[in-house]
Amino acid sequence: MPPIIDEDKCTLCGNCVDICTEDVFFGSKKKQLPRVTYPHECVYCNACVEECPAEGAVRLRLPLPMMLMYKPAPTA
Amino acid sequence: MPPIIDDSKCTGCGVCAEHCPQDVFFGSEIKKTPVIAFPEECWHCYACVLDCPVPEAIRLRTPVPMMLSYR
Amino acid sequence: MTHIIMAGEQMEADVLVIGGGPAGLMAAIHAAESGAKVTLIDKANTVRSGSGATGNDHFRAYIPAFHGPDMEPVVKEVAKSQAGWTRPQSFVRTWMKTSFDIVKMWDDWGIPMKHEGRWEFSGHTFPGKPFTTLKYSGQSQKPILTKEAKKRGVKIVNRVTAFDLITDHGISGAIGVHGREDKIITFSAKAVVLCTGGCVRLYPGPTPGWMFNRADSPHTTGDGRAMAYRAGADLLNMEIPMRWAGPKYFAKCGKATWVGVLRDPRDKPVGPFVTKPDRIYGDPISDSYKGLFEDYMKTGKGPVYMDCRGISNEDYDYMMHYMKHEGLHGILHHFDEEGIDLRENPIEFMTYEMTTRGGIHYNEKGETSMPGLYAAGDEYFGGISAAATFGWIAGGKAAGFAFGRDAPSKNAGKESSEALKNLVREMRNRKDGPSWQEINVALNQVMSDYIGPTRSDTLVEAGTAHLLRIKEKARKDLVAKNQHELIHCLEVLNLLDVAEVIFAAIKERKETREKYIRVDHPYKNPAFDEKVLVCRKGPEGPLTEWKAIND
Repeated sequence: MPPIIDEDKCTLCGNCVDICTEDVFFGSKKKQLPRVTYPHECVYCNACVEECPAEGAVRLRLPLPMMLMYKPAPTA
Repeated sequence: MPPIIDDSKCTGCGVCAEHCPQDVFFGSEIKKTPVIAFPEECWHCYACVLDCPVPEAIRLRTPVPMMLSYR
Repeated sequence: MTHIIMAGEQMEADVLVIGGGPAGLMAAIHAAESGAKVTLIDKANTVRSGSGATGNDHFRAYIPAFHGPDMEPVVKEVAKSQAGWTRPQSFVRTWMKTSFDIVKMWDDWGIPMKHEGRWEFSGHTFPGKPFTTLKYSGQSQKPILTKEAKKRGVKIVNRVTAFDLITDHGISGAIGVHGREDKIITFSAKAVVLCTGGCVRLYPGPTPGWMFNRADSPHTTGDGRAMAYRAGADLLNMEIPMRWAGPKYFAKCGKATWVGVLRDPRDKPVGPFVTKPDRIYGDPISDSYKGLFEDYMKTGKGPVYMDCRGISNEDYDYMMHYMKHEGLHGILHHFDEEGIDLRENPIEFMTYEMTTRGGIHYNEKGETSMPGLYAAGDEYFGGISAAATFGWIAGGKAAGFAFGRDAPSKNAGKESSEALKNLVREMRNRKDGPSWQEINVALNQVMSDYIGPTRSDTLVEAGTAHLLRIKEKARKDLVAKNQHELIHCLEVLNLLDVAEVIFAAIKERKETREKYIRVDHPYKNPAFDEKVLVCRKGPEGPLTEWKAIND
């Protein structure tokens, strides 16, 4: 479950840790890769993604139980 | 959540880890106090308590949402 | 992260038994007694695995010394019971005819089948009707059956979960995954007996967000049904729902072990059968009125209590003894913790979540639709006595089959073992993606919303589309951080296959009959009388077929 951090891209700035409303990154240390301590508590507000200076360093993955129920497009 | 092991009584025999149907004690090692790796997977079957050779070395705590509704 | 490599291992036997509950252990014992080389694999440890792990106390049986020489009234009664009503009478007749031999065997081996030296029948019985459930003390049934199997040379391999049958040139064994080591084991065998138990964790349990508060063992996840289906065998009656009832919130089977009267909050009995606690009958109202507990809640008349107040001292001791033997240790412990005394405190009861009543189509010889593949026990719901009896029968037949054929070729299973190795290696090495819990929860909600109590064509269509999406993502994205999680991943893949079959079967049965309800077809369709619905794997999903009941 979200968020997912790309170790190669993360600059260790700590913005996501500072901004997260739910404190999903609780226990993370400055200048270190953030810890995703409480992934279940993510509310998909996208703040961490918005505040991240390195594109693609953090992303959210939607849990499967939250997938929308959609009708398949008719096949041609 | 269950189970709870009394370090001072447990002999490290490993029977609870061997018998647990849900493998709640996954990762435990013989001669050491068992690891309670997946407490939320306990089915309350009591195999660990029934088969433990030492009285009261292991017990299960009933989780609050499973408390019976009685009057 | 270190890269996980899956080790390979080979084992051989004449008969491979998958699952070490009462059915599997009895199958292994009989096959070994018949002279076969037998291997039994169990997801956990046969000493305490499955729904009968720490006990059972009711055993359907025909005991000549108790019932008299005429077996037919017992056969008729069992055929009408929750354990028999979807079975042909010929099946029930074989079951009852063999049951006494099994009872004598168990008693000889040290599982007490008598109460104070006599045959005692009680519970699950309506006044005036024949008794069919023998009371026994089953707390040690699993350790005892394990000992008997070992005594006969059965090789027991614990903590291995079978995931695929080997089908090269007929049934030739199975491939298993170790639950504690990164290891795949190929079991080559001349005949296979599936005994993996029931199908728990399809629907959400009674506690929101909790996976393991279940009436039956939560590690029985339809593995046998899914394996048989993938191999091409017939599944039967998968659309027919089954629900247990028992104490509210602490889910455990065994309501017939309670000696009390089911009453409303103003102490009025909710059924007509008993007015005071009676150990012979219990209160059978919930056997004939399955919606009882829910209906009372929905209409505001509830809740309904199991009320043991007024029980005699003798019956109280009897009930407490058998609660222990039914495996209700957790509930007994909770009584102590909470200071609950059944002589004073009525306990609320509820109906638990659905599962499927159907399963692998096996006949009175334990044969499935595929030669060399046998099944027993809760691979199709029947309870403990059916498990022991048909396990015994299937084991004997499987040994006979094995003697008549050559060992599978050395290469059998190579391809499927490589495929499984790749699948599990990917799950173990993936860095992020859905855990097994996530898939299981996604499955639970689609089951309860689209084929829960309300079932119709449009719901089935929408639900099927969603289920297939979940299934695709599961195969592609599941992550297992260790071997324990890996087994749960395989379980959810099995549950998804079973779910797909249930959806297909519901789509096909456009009618309402007994406990099967289609809101858009609220009538019985006589075209389906004397017929059963069979499902098997087709090139693009499950195929369905109506068959005459005794086929």
